[in-house]
Amino acid sequence: MVVDRDLVRHLSESSVSVELQTEEMTLNIGPQHPSTHGVLRLVARVDGERAFDVQPVIGYMHRGYEKLSEVRTYPQITTLINRIDWVAGYANEIPFVVAAEKLLGLEVPERAQYIRLILTEMARISSHLIFMASYPLELGAATPLFFALRERERVLDLLEGVTGGRFHPNFNRIGGVKPAYGSGSSTRKVIQDLPAGFLAETREAMDRVLEAVEELELLVADNEIILARTKGIGVLPVDVAASYGVSGPNLRASGVPFDLRKVEDYLPYHLFDFEIPTGENGDCWDRWYVRLLEIRQSVRIIQQAIDGIPSGPLQAKVPKIIKVPKGETYVRAENPKGEMGYYLVSNGNQGPYRLKIRSASFSNISILPWILEGVLVPDIIAIMGSLDFVLGDVDR
Amino acid sequence: MTSSPSEAVNGEAEAADAGTDADTETAAPEPHPLQGYADDVATAVGGEGAVVFDTVKVEVDSGDWVSALTTARDEMGLISFSWLSATDWSSEVEVGDPYPEAVEDRIELLATVADISEGRRVTFSTTLTKDSPTISSLVGVYAGANWHEREAHEMFGIDFEGHPNLAHLYLPDSFVGNPLRKSFPLLTREVKPWPGTVDVEAMPGGGDDEETADAPSEENPEA
Repeated sequence: MVVDRDLVRHLSESSVSVELQTEEMTLNIGPQHPSTHGVLRLVARVDGERAFDVQPVIGYMHRGYEKLSEVRTYPQITTLINRIDWVAGYANEIPFVVAAEKLLGLEVPERAQYIRLILTEMARISSHLIFMASYPLELGAATPLFFALRERERVLDLLEGVTGGRFHPNFNRIGGVKPAYGSGSSTRKVIQDLPAGFLAETREAMDRVLEAVEELELLVADNEIILARTKGIGVLPVDVAASYGVSGPNLRASGVPFDLRKVEDYLPYHLFDFEIPTGENGDCWDRWYVRLLEIRQSVRIIQQAIDGIPSGPLQAKVPKIIKVPKGETYVRAENPKGEMGYYLVSNGNQGPYRLKIRSASFSNISILPWILEGVLVPDIIAIMGSLDFVLGDVDR
Repeated sequence: MTSSPSEAVNGEAEAADAGTDADTETAAPEPHPLQGYADDVATAVGGEGAVVFDTVKVEVDSGDWVSALTTARDEMGLISFSWLSATDWSSEVEVGDPYPEAVEDRIELLATVADISEGRRVTFSTTLTKDSPTISSLVGVYAGANWHEREAHEMFGIDFEGHPNLAHLYLPDSFVGNPLRKSFPLLTREVKPWPGTVDVEAMPGGGDDEETADAPSEENPEA
């Protein structure tokens, strides 16, 4: 049941408003509302049960990271950018350090690249599991939350074991990675590497994630109410998505097999077999299902990476004071939410001259005025939830 | 406009310089594999193309901004709007230094567009004067430019002609100033010395800093 926008407009504006004499009102949603994943405010014109002219009001989470980056050194900035998309903090660091390494001409040791890749995929799994938990909850199904968060906790524990932080790892260094001292249960304190047993534990955790994904699929995919709430709701055509810069799972749900992990070389993804799941209709259901399938692919990548992880140093040789040579570059990465990139301009100093942060959620929710035009008020929640945004990633 | 002392060309030369230090491969005189693509795009839109650190950058005249991006979308298949922002080139600021007088009186407007099949992306750049940065809006070409232009408007004071609603995006309506201009001081830095300078100064000789502790791989060519 694809929504016919013209019909919707016709019904609501002519027959409903004329015959039933409904009154148009302005509805304010937010800024504090459980479905807004932070603080987002929507101002909508509502006629009966239909919403029109929905305008998001953002900026409640604006922290001015682009300005702050101009007065910080490169190693200090990873602390800030962890907090952009806090659901997948680790993944935010990657494109930034890769951009700095590109300007420095640094070759990152292979083992460090594998560790980065494994942890990035773990961040993706934990971010998608949050979505698996919160989205059905927003639609009124509380049970999947427990299945999803149980496994997410396992993944976060492993991330914490390596990096020292569940949400804000601050783990990447320019030229490599830096495991925390004394992390994990039986770590030798002297040698800085992955905590003992990390790879085996991760392998086990991945098996359990797969089981949980199986359970989640059974729980949600057979639920008639969820199907009715999501199938055919919030359809996003490819051309509209592209012109708004919608990326990541939201774009792939519309049927585009485009994944930056396949076309960019920021991490050695070309070494691993994985597929790009796509949706068919670009509706809320597809956006949920694509993320579910992506968890399986991430598990596949992690399993292969654990099998093939080489030994070696974790850090390239870098000067103690990092001065990045003059130049500018844009590095983008496939983050859990979509395309995350940094346009880094250096003038040869210890900090960037300018750092433009391109975050996925910002472009992904700029679609809201278009996609929420003429939808039923309860569908606002279904559609917003399916876009899986985080306000820290919108406002930066 | 195009006479803005060819930023892209400089950047390219530096790309080669940086390569010589670390990696003999990039120091080879052969052109970057993306150079051909950069030239194609530049020819199609009527600008100057260069590859700067694996980023295809095409400089166009500010008068050609909308037509260049339209060509990119319709003829080069760059249908996805990635981002739009600007760089204020007006001063060279060291970390922790106070803001000096303006040196270059220009604002560089940047917009990156991409395809959603091959992974091609192009960063378009144009030069605006600092006093009255004005340019036509891209909203008619890429719907996604709407919010990005509102952000650039409040952060840099750039006026986008033809934008449907150039209101503040992040900042309160009453906010005065353009925070990402180099002339806009970060007040916390004005009233209190930058704390980071202390770490940085202690590092070379001290060795008790956290960063120097993972020592096996460290050496300091600058020492």
